[in-house]
Amino acid sequence: MNLYAILRRQGWSSGAELEAAAKRSTQVADDDMPDDIRWIRSYVLEEGGGSVGTVCIYEASSPEAIRKHASLADLPVDEIIAIADTVIVRPDPEPAVAE
Amino acid sequence: MTVGVTELLERSVELESLSSGFAAAEAGPGGRLVLLAGEAGMGKTALLREFCQEAGRARVLWGACDALHTPRPLGPLLDIAADAGGQLGAVVDEGASPSEVVAALTSDLRRHQPTILVIEDLHWADEATLDAIRLLARRLDSLPALVVVTYREDEIDRTHPVRLLLGHLAGSRVVARVSVPALSLDAVAALAAGKDVDVELLHQRTGGNPFFVTEALASDGAPVPETVRDAVLARAARLDDPARALLDAVAVVPPRAELWLLEALAGEELQALERCLSSGMLNVDGQAIGFRHEIARVAIESALPLDRSVALHRAALVALESPPSGQRDPARLAHHAEMAGDAAAVLAYAPVAGKWAARVGAHSQAAAQFARALRFADGLPPEERAELLEHRSYECYLTDSILDAVEARRSALDEYRAAGNALREGDAHRWLSRLSWFAGDNETAEREANEAIALLEALPEGRELAMAYSNMSQLRMLSADGAATTEWGMRALTLAERLGETEILAHSLNNVGTAELVRGDPEGVAKLKRSLELSLANGWEEHVARAYTNLGSTPVQIRSYTEAEIHLDAGIAYCREHDLDSWLLYMVGWKARAALDLGRWDEAIDHALTVMRAPDVAAPSKITALVVVGHLRARRGDPGVWEPLDEALELAEFTGEIQRLAPVAAARAEARWLAGEDDRVPAETERALALALEVDHGGWAGEMYVWRRRVGLEEKFAESDVSDPFRLELHGEHEAAAEAWRAIGCTFEAALALAFASDEAALRRGLAGFQGLGARTAADRVSRTLRERGVRDVRQGPRRSTQENPAGLTARQLEVLGLVAEGLRNAEIANQLFLSEKTVDHHVSAILRKLGARTRGEAASKAATLGITAR
Repeated sequence: MNLYAILRRQGWSSGAELEAAAKRSTQVADDDMPDDIRWIRSYVLEEGGGSVGTVCIYEASSPEAIRKHASLADLPVDEIIAIADTVIVRPDPEPAVAE
Repeated sequence: MTVGVTELLERSVELESLSSGFAAAEAGPGGRLVLLAGEAGMGKTALLREFCQEAGRARVLWGACDALHTPRPLGPLLDIAADAGGQLGAVVDEGASPSEVVAALTSDLRRHQPTILVIEDLHWADEATLDAIRLLARRLDSLPALVVVTYREDEIDRTHPVRLLLGHLAGSRVVARVSVPALSLDAVAALAAGKDVDVELLHQRTGGNPFFVTEALASDGAPVPETVRDAVLARAARLDDPARALLDAVAVVPPRAELWLLEALAGEELQALERCLSSGMLNVDGQAIGFRHEIARVAIESALPLDRSVALHRAALVALESPPSGQRDPARLAHHAEMAGDAAAVLAYAPVAGKWAARVGAHSQAAAQFARALRFADGLPPEERAELLEHRSYECYLTDSILDAVEARRSALDEYRAAGNALREGDAHRWLSRLSWFAGDNETAEREANEAIALLEALPEGRELAMAYSNMSQLRMLSADGAATTEWGMRALTLAERLGETEILAHSLNNVGTAELVRGDPEGVAKLKRSLELSLANGWEEHVARAYTNLGSTPVQIRSYTEAEIHLDAGIAYCREHDLDSWLLYMVGWKARAALDLGRWDEAIDHALTVMRAPDVAAPSKITALVVVGHLRARRGDPGVWEPLDEALELAEFTGEIQRLAPVAAARAEARWLAGEDDRVPAETERALALALEVDHGGWAGEMYVWRRRVGLEEKFAESDVSDPFRLELHGEHEAAAEAWRAIGCTFEAALALAFASDEAALRRGLAGFQGLGARTAADRVSRTLRERGVRDVRQGPRRSTQENPAGLTARQLEVLGLVAEGLRNAEIANQLFLSEKTVDHHVSAILRKLGARTRGEAASKAATLGITAR
């Protein structure tokens, strides 16, 4: 498994839409592709006009697995970038509002 | 069990897994396969006995692979057939192939439910048994049975054939793995209760191995034995002389000795049987006597003095030559003959055993039987020895042991030469040519092909010469030398027709047809189809597969897709039905390539991954799949572009064939351009260009010239060396080239041709083409070109998911919707699109969601209203 960052810019027109997508994403990853995909975390992007996007961190067996997962869970993919190294300076701060 | 463990300790988890497998098989639909792994002596058999007893009402069929040096072909299935009787028993007795046996077994399993089918000791299995299990597993989803196979995990290394089987089974939903662990210190203490032993030392020495523990306890020795062998021998030493002699006799007959056989071997000492049974060292199973465990048998056998061992094996040989059933078992006879050092008997039985094994598809065992005969063949006349060598070589060839096959064939050739038999010598040269090609040694293949023809042309014409011509034609075809393929092929064809040798005719029609097809000559299709018909009519599976392969893959190479896909689909279905996996994967690879070229990228990736995930993929199939993955990663801007393309290059260079090298070179050139490394394109295309010109292939030569021109290399080219649409682009007619690409469905190629045009309108259309396909990096490169020219309003294209059609369905979902509208069930759709059923479930729910439909019927009618014409 390798670590990847996935950009999904302006993927959803509301937080509620994103929430539904997150549910599908977890389900597909955990139920159907447990050997190929592990969702680690995501940062939700404020994209203006109510729309939101994400930067997602996934562990995956290949870029193809990420695309397949996206297609099954109906998520957009703009770009997949392989992560070369992780530098953690501080743990993520508590989210202001629970998603 | 007679002694020691009367109850199973620490096995409740494993029993539970078996029970739930059985419950699932009972509830249906479809059975389960449990792989029960554990080292020798871990108690796999005891666990299964306990489980079968608990399952009570179920019918149990039990078979075991045996520990003969060369196991009996389909050994465990012989046991099972004897238990089951009926049609299955009859089929196995006739020496049927694994697929025929499995067919009989399946219909037997369907009639009785539920059945527990046990096959023990897979690490000793012959090849035909492994095949049978693989076939059975494939059909298990419709059978009311729990199949349990056991094996010693520590005895199957990376190259063991069982590993290959496990690879095939991996990922199947009906398969579960259960491993039997060692006993804990507490369990060992419980077993040793009431005995005066150092429990910790016992646990440590035995490693918690239940067999070792019980043997050590039964030997009652004051010190704990060092090894399991010591424990067994110490225990045997406590018996009297006749009982020990009986143990010796049982030990030379793996896995178990029939009573009548023991009478012949042990005579009077058979009276000690009761004592051996009550001591727990031996047990009875039906009419046969065996050791409580194979470890014990091996320990006793290995302690036998040589003269005693030879005498026992000689007695066994004599007894088995006239068994009460009247049916001699050549594999057992050959085993005892060799152990008794009886050359005449080995030469009488091993070849018969070899031919029997070959007939049922146990080719590794057949090869081993012929090798056994050859070890005793020094006194035979040269031609008889040569015949054994030919058999050995052929069986090695069938099991992919190419180097062994070459060695045996070369020895056969020497024998025939010594005997002055030029016909067989010539035929051996032809074989060596074919084998050398398989081994990747094209130079030797070439030389041997010539020698075969030279020798055979001096003799009266016969099938050997026809085959030598056809072999030469095939060699020329594989190096894409069309003219020579046809020339040699026509000689083979004419001669085969005159001699009425239909199989050689089918072989040569295939070679010549393929060469013609590469040149775009429609006559080639007709020849290939005739070869296909002849082969189908005669059941020549390998020729059928080769005909489909060339009918399907060659048109993709010359970018003629419609016919190609029809033949690929038919060929894939045929190979799936007949279990011709290597041909199947080769065609799935070309299916991936066709889907890539036609812009069906999700499908292309699915096919490519199917090829790459299969265990033991041949290089040509793998190259095609790697190229597809590399192309797509590069075009979409996904990471990991060079791993597949570097591996593909390495594999293609080893074959040295233009048909592998050209697609790899094109993919690498494109990836270099996409990465902005234009200066590396000439080096990437150098070798493929030279080879393409050498064999006069306008498509490949054109593609290489075009890439070199695209990065600014001004080269002269001969008009006749390149074909359209590449020729058009080389003449600067980008629009016409793009139009030609679009006409055959190659949308990415069309956009590429426009991407190197000079006027802005064409560039914009190229950009739109890339954006429509989701080719992010390609779109970026064209945007950059446009911006460099001062064009200002270059925008990112619309998101792929929303642009395709009114409902925002992906290409794959459209395809699924089409089949839903045709009324297909998810399982059928999965089958047709090479997807898992679960994936289809997901697509269908996504389709319903996007269309706002509640049922499949509603989805179909909404699709019709929206004007989404699927397919």
